[in-house]
Amino acid sequence: MCNVQDSHVFENVSKILKAHAHADILITPDVRISADLEIDSVEIFDIVMEIEDIYDISFPVEVASSIDTVRDLVETIGQLTNV
Amino acid sequence: MFDSGMKKNDIFEKFEKLAERYHGVATLGTQPFGMVFDEILSPTRARVGSREVILAGTNNYLGLTFSEACTTAAKAAIDHQGTATTGSRLANGTFREHLELETALKAYFNAASAIVFTTGYQANLAAISALVGRGDHLLIDADSHACIYDGCRLSDAETIRFRHNSPEDLAKRLSRLPDDGARLIVVEGLYSMLGDVAPLAEFVDVASEHGAFLYVDEAHSVGCYGERGRGVAQAQGVLDKVDFLSGTFSKSFASLGGFCVSRHESFEYTRLVSRPYLFTASGSPANIAAARAALATIAGSDELGRRLWDRANQLHSGLRAAGFEPASAPGPIIALPRADETTAVREWNALLEAGVYVNLAVPPATPQAKSLLRLSVSAAHSESEIDQILEVFNALSDLVS
Repeated sequence: MCNVQDSHVFENVSKILKAHAHADILITPDVRISADLEIDSVEIFDIVMEIEDIYDISFPVEVASSIDTVRDLVETIGQLTNV
Repeated sequence: MFDSGMKKNDIFEKFEKLAERYHGVATLGTQPFGMVFDEILSPTRARVGSREVILAGTNNYLGLTFSEACTTAAKAAIDHQGTATTGSRLANGTFREHLELETALKAYFNAASAIVFTTGYQANLAAISALVGRGDHLLIDADSHACIYDGCRLSDAETIRFRHNSPEDLAKRLSRLPDDGARLIVVEGLYSMLGDVAPLAEFVDVASEHGAFLYVDEAHSVGCYGERGRGVAQAQGVLDKVDFLSGTFSKSFASLGGFCVSRHESFEYTRLVSRPYLFTASGSPANIAAARAALATIAGSDELGRRLWDRANQLHSGLRAAGFEPASAPGPIIALPRADETTAVREWNALLEAGVYVNLAVPPATPQAKSLLRLSVSAAHSESEIDQILEVFNALSDLVS
């Protein structure tokens, strides 16, 4: 598996998350989107839609709901774009 | 008693932030999330403590809760059938009146099948979870009501959200799907928070192009839109193209319960597999009788609908004249986005103190994280009651300060 932190996907995702985050902390792969960045569940769904448009993919709701960390999000994008 | 200190993990710890927010809101006045009405005086009036208020947030769109037809039917049903059915529809909970209501709904919507459920929430939970399963695909509007999301979870089908009211975005997501599995698109006719209407005719076209079934929740729109209140799909000329149409008896129908009708006769088989239909008690005799009486009233005349729209237009234009910007075009739901939650809570309290009850809606229950003052109009509102509501809104900034 590639190094998440060095990937372009991580770079893009970090930019998007930074724009939505309510807590000002450094975004690393292990940062938790809800607990650490204080982004609520509804906002996460909006972020997912933004990402879906960028990568031309669809996140099933059940997959989006199970995303906890930035790493989860980056890896899910990787899996869905490789389908 | 139990010593919570002995527990390994505190089961209530997760509520701490929520509780803080809940109690914080109450410090600004009355607790809006747990409002108590001490006496209901009419469809448009209630007593809260010692204060009489005009109700402008009850979803009692046609104002039938005190109608002679509904109250007489409900009382007679209690006298003749008792207070409860004490059983589920498949066991001992189907009375002749449940079937008569289903027959009346079929005639009203010109449907091949109609099923009555115990609540509106259960109607969507029951129908969606029974219609699709593992290997199928659900496509739902991003602003869908919680009962649609819950129905999807219960179904085990893969659920994809598309952008609110966007047939183009839906088409894009449908085209990404694999060929296998059934496809069910779920939208609402009128959205409960912002009061905006779905472009159903366009959704019908997209569904047809992609071999998908279309399910429309008309909980807020039946009774308010279309000829004899048949809803948004009928108003847009596509009622016969919608595969499944669900609704509730708890708004325009002045009762409690829900329904789903379909142009497909095979929808009847969902009765055999739908857990929220099978494993709960059926609607009480009084509720079924009131819903039936309301349906007869709605199907019999457009008069209440016309009155509702007159009042809705009066309130919408009056609010605009007072400097407010409703989120949507005139309709039975008028939502006013506010700057933030604190502003919305302060204004909500000021309105209540001045004798006007509206709904307060805050994230995460609202789209785009908006804080809203949400008003719903009733055919039972008099022109003068709407004027009184507007008078208070005109003075709102002074009342708050």
